[in-house]
Amino acid sequence: MSPNLLLPEASATQLLRRRVLGAAGTLLLVGTYLFLVITQPAGIVEGLGQGVALATFAAYLIAAVLLLLAVLPDLPVSALTLIPVALALNIILGQFVGSVMVPLYLDSIGTVLVGFLAGRRAGAATGVLSTLIWSLFAPTVLPFAAGAALVGFLAGTAARYGALRRPYLAPIAGLVSGVLVGVVSSPVAAFVYGGTSGVGTGAVVAAFRSMGDSLLSAVTKQALISDPGDKAIVFLIAALLVFALPKRLSGSFDFIRRYKVLGKSGNK
Amino acid sequence: MKRRVAELHPFTVICLAVLTVSVATAASRWWLSCAVIALCLAIGAFAGKARELAALSGAIMLPTLLSLLMIHGLASRDSSPVIAAWGPISLTRGGVEIAMALALRTAVLVVAGLLCGLLIDKHQLVAAIDLSPAPPQAGYLLASTLFLLPQMMEKQHAIGQAQALRKAGTSRGLAGWLQRLRLRAVPLVLSSVQDAHDRSVHLAARGFPARGEHSRLRHVADSQIQRGVRWVALLCSVLVPVAILVPLGGAS
Amino acid sequence: MDMDHRAPAGTTAALHLRLGSFRYSEAHAETLGEIELEFSPGSLTVIAGDSGSGKSTLGGVLAGMLPRPGADQCQGTVTLAGQRIDYSPEHWPRIDVAGWARHVGLLPQDAGLYLSGIRQTVAEELVFARENEGMPREEMAGLIDELSTRLSLEHLLERDPAKLSGGQERLVALAALSAAKPSIIVLDEPLAGLDSRATQAVTSMITKLRAEGTALVVLSRTAEAWEAEADFLWNLAEGTLQRATAGAATTALLSKPKRPSVPAASAKPLLGFSRVQLGYKGASAPVISNLDLEVRAGECVGLAGANGTGKTTLLKAAAGLIKPTAGKVRVVGDAGMLLQNPSDQLFERTVAREVAFGLPKKSIKRDRVPLVLAQLGLESSAQTHPYELPASARRLVALATVLVREPQLLLLDEPTEALDSAGLYYLHGAIDSVLERGGAVLFSSHDERFMSSTAHRVHQLQGSD
Repeated sequence: MSPNLLLPEASATQLLRRRVLGAAGTLLLVGTYLFLVITQPAGIVEGLGQGVALATFAAYLIAAVLLLLAVLPDLPVSALTLIPVALALNIILGQFVGSVMVPLYLDSIGTVLVGFLAGRRAGAATGVLSTLIWSLFAPTVLPFAAGAALVGFLAGTAARYGALRRPYLAPIAGLVSGVLVGVVSSPVAAFVYGGTSGVGTGAVVAAFRSMGDSLLSAVTKQALISDPGDKAIVFLIAALLVFALPKRLSGSFDFIRRYKVLGKSGNK
Repeated sequence: MKRRVAELHPFTVICLAVLTVSVATAASRWWLSCAVIALCLAIGAFAGKARELAALSGAIMLPTLLSLLMIHGLASRDSSPVIAAWGPISLTRGGVEIAMALALRTAVLVVAGLLCGLLIDKHQLVAAIDLSPAPPQAGYLLASTLFLLPQMMEKQHAIGQAQALRKAGTSRGLAGWLQRLRLRAVPLVLSSVQDAHDRSVHLAARGFPARGEHSRLRHVADSQIQRGVRWVALLCSVLVPVAILVPLGGAS
Repeated sequence: MDMDHRAPAGTTAALHLRLGSFRYSEAHAETLGEIELEFSPGSLTVIAGDSGSGKSTLGGVLAGMLPRPGADQCQGTVTLAGQRIDYSPEHWPRIDVAGWARHVGLLPQDAGLYLSGIRQTVAEELVFARENEGMPREEMAGLIDELSTRLSLEHLLERDPAKLSGGQERLVALAALSAAKPSIIVLDEPLAGLDSRATQAVTSMITKLRAEGTALVVLSRTAEAWEAEADFLWNLAEGTLQRATAGAATTALLSKPKRPSVPAASAKPLLGFSRVQLGYKGASAPVISNLDLEVRAGECVGLAGANGTGKTTLLKAAAGLIKPTAGKVRVVGDAGMLLQNPSDQLFERTVAREVAFGLPKKSIKRDRVPLVLAQLGLESSAQTHPYELPASARRLVALATVLVREPQLLLLDEPTEALDSAGLYYLHGAIDSVLERGGAVLFSSHDERFMSSTAHRVHQLQGSD
């Protein structure tokens, strides 16, 4: 009866399953997006509008869940205990800001924090889970899970390629991420809900529409106005929070050590 | 009725909600959507949650309705009669109809979804997820977040008290607000991330995440009938919309 | 691979540790040096050491949780259950912590960290590890029955693990640990922060486990409580172990023999409670009713009472955080309060900035910062991140943030918590300096010895339970 004190190696089937699920989710997401943008289904309440709404909702949600299933089994336990903290931070810090009537969401600080500390896969998982749990209180956020996954993924990618080595790089990375996320999530707002859920954003979309834009392009333009700024601030706040952590704590994350996320020997 | 609802497997509730929302959305008849919303409110009343359901739904739907009215009511380009006009901005009937139809569609999702959230017991949902083929991390993450949230809010409160004792964070204006944000966020993040790190090694020592088979002491009531209902509901939620919409698509 | 070496023939030891050195990833110096330890079934080994001496590090190494692969540098060998694991600074074996936990269990200082936090009842919490192994439901039910009867936990089985007191958390965590029947259990400061009732409960569970043949290793700040029963007594200092002799430790604690001078009866009262009632919104009964208490300048009063009798509530009311539901609280001058959990407020990157926070630049108070740091022995840590200091120093940093404002009334909630003997020395000094200035001190503590050597008088709080 050998005591089994050492871990077995990861099996090839696990790696394969991870790749297949990840590829399937990404393909579904990209495919749905391209289909919507290219065909631009016109009627939103009559004819096929409902079908488009249901199909877009389902496709975006299923893509996010596939990405989650691809990523979840391989996360280290340190990421698994960090994610609930990040999810709670999303809500708590988002509420604190929301109470001040600023036109920003700032509800993804936790997601970006996980992306910075534990890598892009953990960040993506955090984004999806954040949406799934938030849906218990607001079911309308469900199809935005894919966009939330993208935020975490991009945060991890930015950290990996050095966005945290200088304080001014983080907001720039946030700006770029905001553009991508705004573009990817716009079809959801346009085709599933026919608009946005907030009065301020609705006014902006209405303004663009009255200037002659289609619904999709109006929503996309509105997203390009608010998302990059919002994500730039979120990335900056998350970066400052990471800098506030003691060396021993940030250094305990494998991701930070391996890619020298905080610079050589992390002296900040 | 309350007890009956509690005996339903959480997944059954979710599958029925999915069926309801997808059929109501596909059919897109205002009377059907209203009937569904009324039914959800009635079930909520039976379960004693009518007030919460109404309040939460209203909080979400009101801004959405306003936003849709602005986007479609004001900026619609069709030639339907104008209801009201303020200078260059006018409210058209066709636009208002579209906005109302969209709002009703969203309302069905909101009310049905919130009802699910209020009816399902969180511990039972986590156990159901653990006992399903889903990876064991999923149930843990859901449970941990749901239980961590009130704890962290309490910790935030304690931090607020500690900072008040130091007479910190009393300045006004934007700088003061930013400093208050920092005073709240940094200790919260510091202690929570440290806590998560300290916990992780003990969680791993207790065998989490399970690599092979895993079980739960908790029993989640289920039956063959419910399993059947779930499969039928999921199947119908795909087939019924297709049946409704394909002829429409052929016609247009 | 190098793991099929059998243990040296003839030993009955469950674990044999031969450590050369251990260094944390960002540290400048080694935390542990040469250590050799062996544990035989049913033995009780006590390792005593000050805060920051490396006790928890040693506990982590014994439990297979340290060194963290890729980060910490460790040189040594562990032989556990006949299998030999070698560590070297460049080679980290991939340890299966769950497999290791079946042989060596570790109860952390904060038992709440061991609990999963996701189970609704203590019964489910006890079998959490078994659920992860896939044990069938009926077996688990039987295991819970057996465990709860053996370790007297029946009254806790249906409780919510998140609402347990510190002592109860420790009992549940220890029971869950022992469910895997490990041959060794390491306990990191198992009696810290417990009142006498909880101490008794934890000690009796430890005795039961030992009687069943489990080898126990207790890491503690002082060896006194264990002297009578320990089979082996060690002192951990500067990374190495020395045999400790019973009775040697006691002298160090009382290095500052304190005979408090009684203040003049005419000194003015700095704090007065008259017929005060304190409670929380939504609670069925007030926590404190009809309280009359006066604290005069130059006086040091201690609050005693079991956990839950309202000591913290009283102190918060004195600090102005809570308004009384009846009666009046009068405070003359500034009050400064040290909370029970110092991490609740720390947020700056260095100790110096933390202590100086909130003080206007170029004021007299800011010049006091280095003096306060020196008074509490923190000069050498002025540029360190507070979270990187050992628990005792962190507590002193929190105390420094209070002292730098020179409060007239000093309120302390369980000040001895986490403090080692050096920390206690500085605490005594801080209290003396406040009293000499003409201020007053009100503190709550369940440490009777600290109470008797520090307080002029003790106010006993009666609880409802």
